[in-house]
Amino acid sequence: MSKIGVFVCHCGENISATVDCAKVAETVGNYDGVAFSVDYTYMCSDPGQNLIKSAIKEKGLTGVVVASCSPRMHEPTFRKACAEAGLNPFMCEMANLREHCSWVHDKGEATTEKAIDLVRILVEKVKYNHSLNDIKVPVTKTALVIGGGIAGIQASLDIANTGHKVILIEKDPSIGGHMSQLSETFPTLDCSQCILTPRMVEVAQHPNITLYTYAELESLEGFIGNFKAKIRKKSKSLDEKLCTGCGLCTTKCPVKKIPSEFNEGLGKRTAIYVPFPQAIPNKPVIDRINCTYYIKGKCKVCEIVCPTKAIRFDQEDEIVEAEVGAIVISTGFTVKQPDFFPEYGYGKYPDVITGLQFERLASASGPTLGEIRRPSDGKVPEKIVFLACAGSRDPAKGIPYCSKICCMYIAKHAMLYQHKVHGGKSYVFYMDIRAGGKMYEEFVRRAIEDDGVNYVRGRVSRIYEKNGKLIVSGADTLLNAMPVEIEADMVVLATAGVANEGAEELAQKLHISYDPYKFFAEAHPKLKPVETNTAGIFLAGACQAPRDIPESVAMASGAAVKVAGLFSQDELTREPIIAVVNRQAAPVYSSCVGCFLCVSACPYQAIEKEEIKNRNGEVIKSMAKVNPGLCQGCGTCVAFCRTKSIDIQGYTHEQMYTEVMALLNEY
Amino acid sequence: MVDLIKRAKELIESSAVKVVIGYENGTGNRTRALFVEKTEDADKLIFDSRCIQNLAAYVTKREVKDKGKMAIAATLPVMRSIIQLASEFQVNDNNLLVLGITPESKLIEFENLVEVETFVHQYQIEIDARNKEMLDRLDNMTKAERWKFWIDELAPCFKCYACRAACPMCYCHRCTVDFNQPQWIPVPSHELGNLEWHIMRAIHLTGRCIDCDACYNACPLYIPINLLTKKMMLDAREHFGGYQPALKGEHLMSTYKPDDKENFIQ
Repeated sequence: MSKIGVFVCHCGENISATVDCAKVAETVGNYDGVAFSVDYTYMCSDPGQNLIKSAIKEKGLTGVVVASCSPRMHEPTFRKACAEAGLNPFMCEMANLREHCSWVHDKGEATTEKAIDLVRILVEKVKYNHSLNDIKVPVTKTALVIGGGIAGIQASLDIANTGHKVILIEKDPSIGGHMSQLSETFPTLDCSQCILTPRMVEVAQHPNITLYTYAELESLEGFIGNFKAKIRKKSKSLDEKLCTGCGLCTTKCPVKKIPSEFNEGLGKRTAIYVPFPQAIPNKPVIDRINCTYYIKGKCKVCEIVCPTKAIRFDQEDEIVEAEVGAIVISTGFTVKQPDFFPEYGYGKYPDVITGLQFERLASASGPTLGEIRRPSDGKVPEKIVFLACAGSRDPAKGIPYCSKICCMYIAKHAMLYQHKVHGGKSYVFYMDIRAGGKMYEEFVRRAIEDDGVNYVRGRVSRIYEKNGKLIVSGADTLLNAMPVEIEADMVVLATAGVANEGAEELAQKLHISYDPYKFFAEAHPKLKPVETNTAGIFLAGACQAPRDIPESVAMASGAAVKVAGLFSQDELTREPIIAVVNRQAAPVYSSCVGCFLCVSACPYQAIEKEEIKNRNGEVIKSMAKVNPGLCQGCGTCVAFCRTKSIDIQGYTHEQMYTEVMALLNEY
Repeated sequence: MVDLIKRAKELIESSAVKVVIGYENGTGNRTRALFVEKTEDADKLIFDSRCIQNLAAYVTKREVKDKGKMAIAATLPVMRSIIQLASEFQVNDNNLLVLGITPESKLIEFENLVEVETFVHQYQIEIDARNKEMLDRLDNMTKAERWKFWIDELAPCFKCYACRAACPMCYCHRCTVDFNQPQWIPVPSHELGNLEWHIMRAIHLTGRCIDCDACYNACPLYIPINLLTKKMMLDAREHFGGYQPALKGEHLMSTYKPDDKENFIQ
């Protein structure tokens, strides 16, 4: 016979204002199996918890129902209190009288009746509860960081500095990401590469970091603490051990007209190339799509000139398998290209460029060696127009969000232009200036007041070419929407920051969620900004939403702490609320018929095939088996199982049926 | 079916299979399943237009399976059932040989299930005119009329479970209705019990049923329960893409996809 204790909480006035708590306690106290029933102002307070503990000890309770707030708030509190009093924590259930009753109904008898129903459901359920024990899973103390931009670099270094191993993979030939392309950084105007490259070198030299460049994630299996990653190291057509990085091959390669990705197409590179001089690793790769040897079957100039004979034309992609315990995703973002904008000429005017291209023009390592020259004829533009919100905050373009970094980098661009082109005129078309951040507003004011950048509040409707000039026609909304036309030499579009191409596939590979814009979704917008919904996978930087450098770095350090916290224990403890396939005595073994429809239904790949063999090793039955480390207890398999062979521990068929019947007064 | 008899004899004689499942003459003008284990029994094998029972229902039965490797005389619906069963890991090349009977009543022996699948995929699953008319009629009813139609149709059902026994997809050793701790589906054949059984049956067969009508043919009361599974098949096709049973197919109703159009699942 069950001895159940019911503890009705007033939650101050949150519950008692609309529910007659004393009546709930009294009514429920008369139910079969209820040995003790009481109401109290704050069950979660120390005296409240002591009430539960002493009742468990004195009355010898076998089950506890706390009728208070949502189990999301205080379930751990009350389960712990039960455990301290010697009752298995999973014998404690919570009836949600606050969110599900008192907060959503008016004071009245019906509200109290509903509260009684809610408690009765749990009283009946708890009669079928069983003691459960936490699940322990081992942790592999190596982290995988995907993406070697500033966020990935920071996360790798922070994790590596806590003494744990890190595998950093980067899809391009060098780490550095977008930050390595920037000329200067706001709001200090210090050189981007000067602050980034020491970090890059640190990554390369760190004993705890294994760096795979030109590599991508092939597949991921497993679960928190126990992931198995397959990494595809794309062939560099090079023996990296022999290569000294002398660069002779890149100077002799006859294919010299390939648009350089690093210079955003404004410069050229060879088919065997190092993306930029400070690249890590500073060793070339052969771009097989453009290399003459791979197209026509002859050339091999690089092989001939290589002093160490490091070129390997027949090298194949290599798959590296790695066991990791946690993953940080820092794959970054990309920007919309001018061809996305019909009103700005679909990218047909070479002097309409993106902000990222302007960075390359302004950078000392760029194609113009830091001089602002327009791409069409190399002339220094006398008039330059910057357009904020090119695509961003434009629901018609499918990008209703603010790309966040543009206001600041436009101010920076205009300033750099004014510093480099004395007497030049610069205009910024903007919707609002969003400069929230330490020293950010001051930075924008500096551009306007000290450097004389002309800010025009309004949008540009059209850009067209006339007499070799780009006519930017828009409106000044601060002057009663007066039409404005500027004859510009060059136009820079602050095109929207968007998710990387392939972000969706990567999310699916990793089984993490993403938002409608294909940015990866955090587990909670406020309280879990670096976690994903998949345990053990964390986010850093602009793969989650457009982020500037300080934010990306902060997020990376945050993710690193989460990883370090995970690695601080040898074993993980998980709640035992997981699915189990029933087992029965031979010759039945289980009611499972082994159709394995649950395998494809499981979102977590937690179900595998189990073969029951006789003594001769012959398979006599195949049935489903749930991996307790992977199962999240979602219950999808339970719903699909036709033979009702799967139960969620703590939410078994019997318990759910009892709850329904209790509600229908048929208990 | 001289070819079939000859082949069955060879297979049994050479011990390539232990049992050949086919049809024989039954009482009256009916046919029934024949399990050929001895060569002399093979002479009883027949095949004609009366042979509409779905023999695939037997290949998952322990009594038949335990004899050893089986061969089955399989019409198109039977072959479809076998492919679906194989995709659910109930049969495989090691325990089943398919002696296919084409819609033109020609015998073809398939090397393996992949060949069966290729053959089956040449034919679309079509719903005949009479059933189509019935489905259209149901579609055009109001909700109340449709509810009354089914309450009336299902009222005489006394839960003999012949539909379940005839269905090749109802191979579970423990059916949901046999699950009694707790008894989710009521056992009595009252209104609620009948409704719950038939709704549950239709849902469990959605995306798996290959529309062989075995359930309807088995029903002693001629209740058109096959309309439920047909309608579910059409709905599943419409909402989740057309399907044919496939060996390595995605299970239409139970495959988790991160890119599901319902975003709550992502």
